[in-house]
Amino acid sequence: MCNTCGCAMKPADTVTIDVLQGLLAANDRAAAHNREHFDRHRVLVVNLMSSPGAGKTALLEATIVALRERYRIAVIEGDLETDNDAARIRAHGVPALQITTGSACHLDAQLVHAALHELPLAGLDLLFIENVGNLVCPAGFDLGQHRNVTLLSVTEGDDKPAKYPVIFRASDLVVLSKTDLLDVLDDFDPARAATALRALGGGVPMIHTAARRAPALGEWLHWLECELRARRAAPLRAPRVDAMMEA
Amino acid sequence: MMHELSICQALLIRVAEIAAVNGAAAVERVTIEIGALAGVDPALLTAAFAVMRAGSCAATAALRIESTGVRIECLACGTESPAAPNRLICTQCGGYRTRVVAGEDLRLRDVELRLAGLPELAQLPPVPEPSGLLRRRARASGPGATA
Ligand SMILES: Nc1nc2c(ncn2[C@@H]2O[C@H](COP(=O)(O)OP(=O)(O)O)[C@@H](O)[C@H]2O)c(=O)[nH]1
Ligand SMILES: [Mg+2]
Ligand SMILES: [Zn+2]
Ligand SMILES: [Zn+2]
Repeated sequence: MCNTCGCAMKPADTVTIDVLQGLLAANDRAAAHNREHFDRHRVLVVNLMSSPGAGKTALLEATIVALRERYRIAVIEGDLETDNDAARIRAHGVPALQITTGSACHLDAQLVHAALHELPLAGLDLLFIENVGNLVCPAGFDLGQHRNVTLLSVTEGDDKPAKYPVIFRASDLVVLSKTDLLDVLDDFDPARAATALRALGGGVPMIHTAARRAPALGEWLHWLECELRARRAAPLRAPRVDAMMEA
Repeated sequence: MMHELSICQALLIRVAEIAAVNGAAAVERVTIEIGALAGVDPALLTAAFAVMRAGSCAATAALRIESTGVRIECLACGTESPAAPNRLICTQCGGYRTRVVAGEDLRLRDVELRLAGLPELAQLPPVPEPSGLLRRRARASGPGATA
């Protein structure tokens, strides 16, 4: 008998449903779907992350100028710091799509999916995704990219990898940016930054770039070209796009 | 804004699906696991849950968070040891190449549901997709246990 009202109903039972499922499973499924799109067209997709103003857009502009004769490049802009990042990219003759993230602090796979259907993927070699400037939120959200690159500018602290281990550990490459300013700064020690990164255990490599003043892009362009070659050599995956996700 | 809001939203969607397929009257409790390297702040997620659950089937549900520490395995000497999230170095040999074996999890462990009526366990609707992942665990609740 129900002991709340005395009716004939049995007391409500509780059951525990075991789930053991990732909280980001839906995002991960959408990201896998994006990756299938990219792989079908053999596009290398690089997700750029950093704190606001670390130089993501400036690095992209310099990269486009250096590589646009040899590779077909496009950019998905998700950074809300400056509304005109996409315009800055387009000024270099490269397609750029601005994702309007509203107040979102990171991109997710669905946002990228909506954008990628507006890009000419078939003709591309290299797609950059400029994530929202934030060293916390973007780390856990797979977008379907092949490589994660995190910028650490020399105008930030050299202890950033120790303060934000999750995002630096999730990186395939850390770019120490604005190194042209190293000689005017006395409190950033690249060796200390490298040690903090090494303490994260994953063996993530760190390279130096400068996109302004005395540009230094050699290591970065070399890394990109190695990745582009590797992607081209990768076996083409069977074109299978989950119908459910097409909506 | 913080990404804990998106994670909380994903959690509530998943919990609502589980409650619906099981014909639950309400969600009593949700248990999740958060590793120290998951990049999620338990306090922020708890605050988000308290606000965002309103109006959902989990409106009165409790959120239980089990925090898991970081454990690493040294690729050089094989030692497994606990570690701080920003110091994933072998405590035995000082090796810098390690593999994280625990502490990255961000998982929904289980959901405790209050059932509407009196279905026998055997008559409950089948458990939904990835069936290997979802198992029903009966909890004998004595009279008045859920009052
Ligand atoms: N000196 C110097 N300034 C840079 C460099 N890269 C970016 N900046 C400046 O840093 C500011 C932020 O750059 P931006 O590319 O918009 O950063 P984002 O927010 O990460 O996209 C701008 O004023 C840039 O001119 C660099 O390599 N050297
Ligand atoms: Mg930018
Ligand atoms: Zn966030
Ligand atoms: Zn060791």
